Amino acid sequence: MATLEQPKLRRAGRWFDVRHRKLGMWAYALNRISGIGLVVYLYLHLVVLSTLSRGPGSWDAFVSLARQPYFLLLDVILLAGILIHGLNGLRIALTSFDVGVKRQKALFSALMLVALVALSAAALKIFGG
Amino acid sequence: MKLLDITLQIYRYKPGEQPHYDTFTVQVEDTAHVIDAIDKVWAEHDHTLTFRRACHHSSCGSCALRINGVEKLPCITRFNEVGDGNIPLRIEPLRNFPIVSDLVVDVSGFFQRMSASDMSITRDAESTLPLSVDNLDSIVQSKAVQLPDNLTHFNRFENCIECGICMSACPTMAVDNKFMGPAGLAAIYCALQKTDDPDEKAHLLALADGEHGIWRCHSAFECTEACPQAVDPAGKIMALRREVTANRFKTTRRS
Repeated sequence: MATLEQPKLRRAGRWFDVRHRKLGMWAYALNRISGIGLVVYLYLHLVVLSTLSRGPGSWDAFVSLARQPYFLLLDVILLAGILIHGLNGLRIALTSFDVGVKRQKALFSALMLVALVALSAAALKIFGG
Repeated sequence: MKLLDITLQIYRYKPGEQPHYDTFTVQVEDTAHVIDAIDKVWAEHDHTLTFRRACHHSSCGSCALRINGVEKLPCITRFNEVGDGNIPLRIEPLRNFPIVSDLVVDVSGFFQRMSASDMSITRDAESTLPLSVDNLDSIVQSKAVQLPDNLTHFNRFENCIECGICMSACPTMAVDNKFMGPAGLAAIYCALQKTDDPDEKAHLLALADGEHGIWRCHSAFECTEACPQAVDPAGKIMALRREVTANRFKTTRRS
């Protein structure tokens, strides 16, 4: 029987398709975006650390660059990724042990509120010196 | 009662052709359901439109499709639930199933998953037949129930109408064709609750614990949100995880 199936990569796009979906799907999509972002960061971090092998001059040049405001914004984005992924992961771990399953949406909202408060405090600290 | 002019944008696909959308406008009563409009499109505009429907009261699950991107049973979905009548309704087949023609999808993979657990779930209170496999022989011999020649026993999955909506809503299903899926895993959980046989329990837990089982679920909970029968597949998957984990601890302690 001839049937139509979309290519796998295109189907993977549904991971991020939150249109008309509920809060759980937003949590799912956010976890994927933050997860992919953190993996990319990990590789960038290793590349940056490799400048140490080129001597103190290279490292100092990078550190002065990292103190620029736009670079500090990247720090805030990184922290947002860590908080969202980590706290959402906590929700998944709890529900996976059958804890709070019926209240998973409230749990997600509460944890994201914690993330927002922590991120705001961290951003003030980062930009305020 | 008043009449509404409803415009539907219906997904069309025939083997060998490019998928596209066709737009139809039909007149239906304001109390009508979406399936009535699709029926009218077929009757008044295009006899080549293929879709499934049978019971018209959310009992068979065969008409499941997507209305404006959301999985629904059009037989119980009224127009005021999915729009204000001014914007065309987009009617599409379920996702994560191969499309056979227009709104008809290939559900064979879905039923293979459902049968994996060999569910013995019966809605005892509602059943008109004594469904216990243990006493089936005596029932058949007493002619109380006439089974087809090649059928030795049959099962009914409590509440689940096997519409496939949960499989369509699940984002993991999009990339893992072998994933047992919400309905399949919920069936395993229900089967697990119904048996006291340790071997059967071990078999069901192993099935759930497999590579394409409970751990492939990433907790979007869309299956539970979309389920028209409140089966709560995501809740069943989480309960299965607890049972599988507890079983692992027990097995480790014994060894």
